[in-house]
Amino acid sequence: MTKGSRRLPGLLVFGALAGGWSYAAYRLWQTSVPGDLKLPPVDISAIVGASELHRAQHFSLVLDLFGLAGLLLPLVVLAFYAKWGHRFMGESAAGPIGTGMLLAMLGIAILWMAMLPSNLGQLWWLRRYGIVKTGYAEMIVGTWSALGAEFLGICLTILIVMGFARLMGDRWWLAGAPVFVGIALLVTFVQPYMLNLQPVEGHAALVQAEKRLAKKEGLGNIPLKEENVGSLTTAPNAEAMGLGPSRRIGLWSTILDGRFSEPELEVVVAHELAHHKHNDLWKMIGWYALFVFPIAYLIARVTRRRGGMAVPLAVPLFLFAWVGLSTAILPINNAFSRRLEAEADWTALQATNDPQAAKALFVSFVRTTNQDPNPPFWDPILFGSHPTEAQRIGMVEAWQARSGG
Amino acid sequence: MDDLRRSRLTVFFRPLLTVPHLIWLYLWGAVAGIAVFINWFVALIIGRPAKPLQSFIAAYLRYALTVGAYFLYIANPFPGFTGEPGSYPVELELPIEPQKQSRWKTFFRIVLVYPALLVATLSIYPVMFLFFPVIGFAWWATMITGRIPRGFRDLGANALRYMGQIYAYSYLITDTYPCSSPYVGMALGSPVVTVPAAMEAPTAPEAPEAPTET
Repeated sequence: MTKGSRRLPGLLVFGALAGGWSYAAYRLWQTSVPGDLKLPPVDISAIVGASELHRAQHFSLVLDLFGLAGLLLPLVVLAFYAKWGHRFMGESAAGPIGTGMLLAMLGIAILWMAMLPSNLGQLWWLRRYGIVKTGYAEMIVGTWSALGAEFLGICLTILIVMGFARLMGDRWWLAGAPVFVGIALLVTFVQPYMLNLQPVEGHAALVQAEKRLAKKEGLGNIPLKEENVGSLTTAPNAEAMGLGPSRRIGLWSTILDGRFSEPELEVVVAHELAHHKHNDLWKMIGWYALFVFPIAYLIARVTRRRGGMAVPLAVPLFLFAWVGLSTAILPINNAFSRRLEAEADWTALQATNDPQAAKALFVSFVRTTNQDPNPPFWDPILFGSHPTEAQRIGMVEAWQARSGG
Repeated sequence: MDDLRRSRLTVFFRPLLTVPHLIWLYLWGAVAGIAVFINWFVALIIGRPAKPLQSFIAAYLRYALTVGAYFLYIANPFPGFTGEPGSYPVELELPIEPQKQSRWKTFFRIVLVYPALLVATLSIYPVMFLFFPVIGFAWWATMITGRIPRGFRDLGANALRYMGQIYAYSYLITDTYPCSSPYVGMALGSPVVTVPAAMEAPTAPEAPEAPTET
């Protein structure tokens, strides 16, 4: 048997897996937005006003710089930690997995300290523009305390990875990746129950509209809820959450505070219902599943040089590889998210048949969030989970042109 | 030997680093509670705890003590999750074999432990809650000097020792009554906390006889 023929079965399996992966990615990538839809150029300055636009551009540019720091600093810090983090092994009297947990927690703790100046700067900027109300001390104490939840999460991750690595060696990713997908499913399902969601009060017409729109979209009863975030931020937001019986639409209290008209709020609700209609949360989990397998495989390969994930020595490198690979796929994840959001916008336009309200909503978003409606090309690649406001307004105009409106 | 040095990094994050242990302690504690309940019936019937239950509960108590010692900076290293004997610098020494226990004392154990709990409530708990939380003196002293003051360490260790004795007594691991003296724990043969170095430093008076129990 030649060397080539021995490798043939492996290549066939790899080819079949790559084909299946590509097909799944292609299917998830498809949306109901017409493929030939061309967004017209939008004179955003004429729509939102030159001074508003300038203010938004200034605000977004500085925010982007903090965002870049938020992307690059973890890579730098964790690169150093990957090299020297193993020195903390002496701080542990636990077994291999316990020591791995400690190393992972300390890596995140050091990252928190390294990120603190940048996060404080970002908070200063957001407070300056009245977007966030959180105080500096409150932020430090809050994020310090929130590390407890992060520590729990990373300990669970290390338990899964190291546990399987001790059982299966370098093939831990074959068992670990499905467990992570299962956890993502569970978290998505229970999320609505973890939040303090309240019934929407004082917007009876909106609640009725949501029921009407849900019926129109062929959806069952999806409760409309309010999340009270008024003490933290002024930024408006809404989200579709949950799976199956836990499906909800959560409106931040800041979007119900009178700055948005009822027709605009109906567009928001229609947009979120569209996410449920198109099973976008399932698609997000599917997308995550597509990437978690290769990422876990690559991590298993990378950490072999430190003895593999069965030993705590590899944990600092694991953190670096994990964050590095997650950052590397950020552009494709953002692009996927933007496609789902664009589809939800399109569906909302069809459901509400009210392009004026949709346009007014997107203009209001510029005014209330200060986000640059037409940012430089790299901004959406790195940070854009939604289409830019200029693109959203362009879609409204394209929809109007198609509908003869 | 404990040189009293503590890692500032882990001390700063100590309450958070303990969170996974606290979750595990809670889960284990729920099962241990059931084991104690069953063991109570076993001890009433056969006059001593069942060995598998004894081992299980003893491991839980050892583990709980190591978590307490880590949380309060009484020891420096991150503890393991199994409560294995000999795995941590501060340890609750417990009888390996189930001891014969008076059925009367077993029957009334939940009531008999009240005086010890009262002593703990009036003395140890306030000390622990006043001095050892994150904003407490020990935290600041350790963060500034990189060493835990010996007095704080010994105070915390004694508090843990007494609590360990109370729990071991309540959970039927031993029927030797808890002793709150910082000097006599070892001599009693009841569960003690083994702390390296400094615990032996004070000139301990001769250990009094073990209290005779009625």
